[in-house]
Amino acid sequence: MSDDSVWSYRPGDWLAIFGAATTLLLPASEKARAAQLWDLVDGGAGFDQTLDWVLAPGLSVLPAFVLIATDEGPTKVIVRGQGVRATLTTEAETVVLDGSTVTTWVERTLDRVTALSVEVGDGVDGPDHLIRGGLVRVARIDLPPYSPPVEEQPEPVLPPLDRPDADPVDADPVDDESEESGPEEAVEPPELLTEPMPLPISEPSPVWDDDAATVPPPPPPPPAPPLPPPYVPPVLPPGDLAGGDHDGMTQAGESSDEFAHPQPGIPGQPPAPSVTRPVAKLVISSGETVAVDRVVLIGRAPEARRFTATEQPRLVTVPSPLHEISSTHVEVRPGTGADHGSAVVTDMGSTNGTVLAQPGLGPEDLKPGIAVQLIPGAVINLGDGVTIQVTNP
Amino acid sequence: MTGVELHHGVATDVGLVREVNEDAFLVAPPVFVVADGMGGHDRGDVAAGIVVEEFGRLADQGYDPARGAAVIAETFVECQVRIAEYDASQRAQGATDFHAGTTAVVALLIEQSGKPKWLLANLGDSRVYRYNHGALEQVSVDHSLVQELVESGAITQSAAAVHPERHVITRALGGSGSTEADYFVLPLSAAERLVLCSDGVSGMIDDRRIEEILGSAGDPRDAADQMVAAAVAAGGRDNATAVVVDVVGLVAETPYDSERQRVSLETKLGALP
Repeated sequence: MSDDSVWSYRPGDWLAIFGAATTLLLPASEKARAAQLWDLVDGGAGFDQTLDWVLAPGLSVLPAFVLIATDEGPTKVIVRGQGVRATLTTEAETVVLDGSTVTTWVERTLDRVTALSVEVGDGVDGPDHLIRGGLVRVARIDLPPYSPPVEEQPEPVLPPLDRPDADPVDADPVDDESEESGPEEAVEPPELLTEPMPLPISEPSPVWDDDAATVPPPPPPPPAPPLPPPYVPPVLPPGDLAGGDHDGMTQAGESSDEFAHPQPGIPGQPPAPSVTRPVAKLVISSGETVAVDRVVLIGRAPEARRFTATEQPRLVTVPSPLHEISSTHVEVRPGTGADHGSAVVTDMGSTNGTVLAQPGLGPEDLKPGIAVQLIPGAVINLGDGVTIQVTNP
Repeated sequence: MTGVELHHGVATDVGLVREVNEDAFLVAPPVFVVADGMGGHDRGDVAAGIVVEEFGRLADQGYDPARGAAVIAETFVECQVRIAEYDASQRAQGATDFHAGTTAVVALLIEQSGKPKWLLANLGDSRVYRYNHGALEQVSVDHSLVQELVESGAITQSAAAVHPERHVITRALGGSGSTEADYFVLPLSAAERLVLCSDGVSGMIDDRRIEEILGSAGDPRDAADQMVAAAVAAGGRDNATAVVVDVVGLVAETPYDSERQRVSLETKLGALP
């Protein structure tokens, strides 16, 4: 089945979330959970991921649910609960999954399913509405859309916003009938469902615009800012240069890729804090101890220049009564590439230089701007009596 | 614990050519912002106004002074979302291909290792300068095509000032470019005077002139007025806005003074009730 499958649903009191890859049905009592899972399912979460979240609070607290994978590959269905029944039709057979018959759940995976129907209500009659994606209250859902054997398709569907019975969110907070309706459910003949149906999928069906007509569900994920078409920098008329400036010519332009600095992260998304494990610990003679889990800048009055929101450096101020230590004297950061897993130190162009003593080696002067890998036990001397001992984290 | 006393001045002018002032500023210590709505974009003043509103809310509600850059980054995301919504609403009303945009420079007091520091952020070609011991230094690095050319060695700094594409910026809020800001942290002692300005100032008068003004004007209000006046006098081809902030001192908490001085920086910044 494709991800743009059009379902039909019959209003009821269960909550159904129609997502891109999965469809999830929860009992009326699970309003909070439905709101929670809406974002996930609507975002295109797969079968396993959705199942994880459905079961996160434990199976015992969830009396019933139905989960259907409708994306690529075979159709997978899980059914749990009294009076919950799914009917899958393939060319060869018709399979009925009944949640009443087991204590945990019934799962079935079938290839080439031509029709799929789930009943959770107490057999209320239509009308059926078409839906592509959204969160609605249902008693029954059908893929492809349900059509009565003889009659014509139900009239073009009214937008559910106008129909109190179809409004899923603030519909009556009533009845939990669905859960006690098990026994009568079970006796309803399934023939209706298993009949070969006219499949409207290949012919134009009166599908309404799901954007306009579906429910205003729990708040949608914050929209990634839409990207407008690239702005083309204006071409100035020749000869204008002599005239000098233009007013208000500040323009957004595309960066010339050649020189652009790569920007980490996803444009428009809040950057995730970059948390890395410390690769070393610095014990400074002034008494402070600093973990090297990011860039650490050490000096008399250190400054951090041109960093991104995700990599805010740690600034460590050390006393320097004689001003032998420069304002930003050395940088210690987690190494990359060949230095991965250890710290590296760089002299930031300090006035009086930095002396590094690695264990087993004589003291060496750091060359400004050249990073040197640090071995645990190394001692960095900044002058003015300030030393930094490098230890394991 | 010490408090920080900040004195500030601000001035803005529509200039001699433009009809609308699309610059916006916020002076709500310890938060300072200058935003330059983009002239080539529709209604840049709205975009710049959104930035000022969002940071104004930050100043009102307070923020965690230890989180620093993340606070600003989150606020920029809010701005970006609101500008996109504004674009969408304008397009819905028939203005096809509508997009507003703005630059932003932000100065914010934060706390690191118990010490207050300046956190600066830049997106676009508005600038942050610091003035210390009589010398002016540009702290922010313009996000502009010519700056990239300068950094790559293709053109010189002086050629950049007259380059025909010097107004093309590579990052901004709104629009399709990158919205990743650059951040800077300065100890307060390294910036006795801080200047935030739009390119209507820095594009009209050179750094030497700015340095002269900052050196001669003792009061930050005079400094801001004079910078903008000089930019207008030099031609006023764009909206000109300058915010000048002086760190007057780290005020030691003293027992004789009012209750207000006993509150911690966190409380002053609103992170604690």
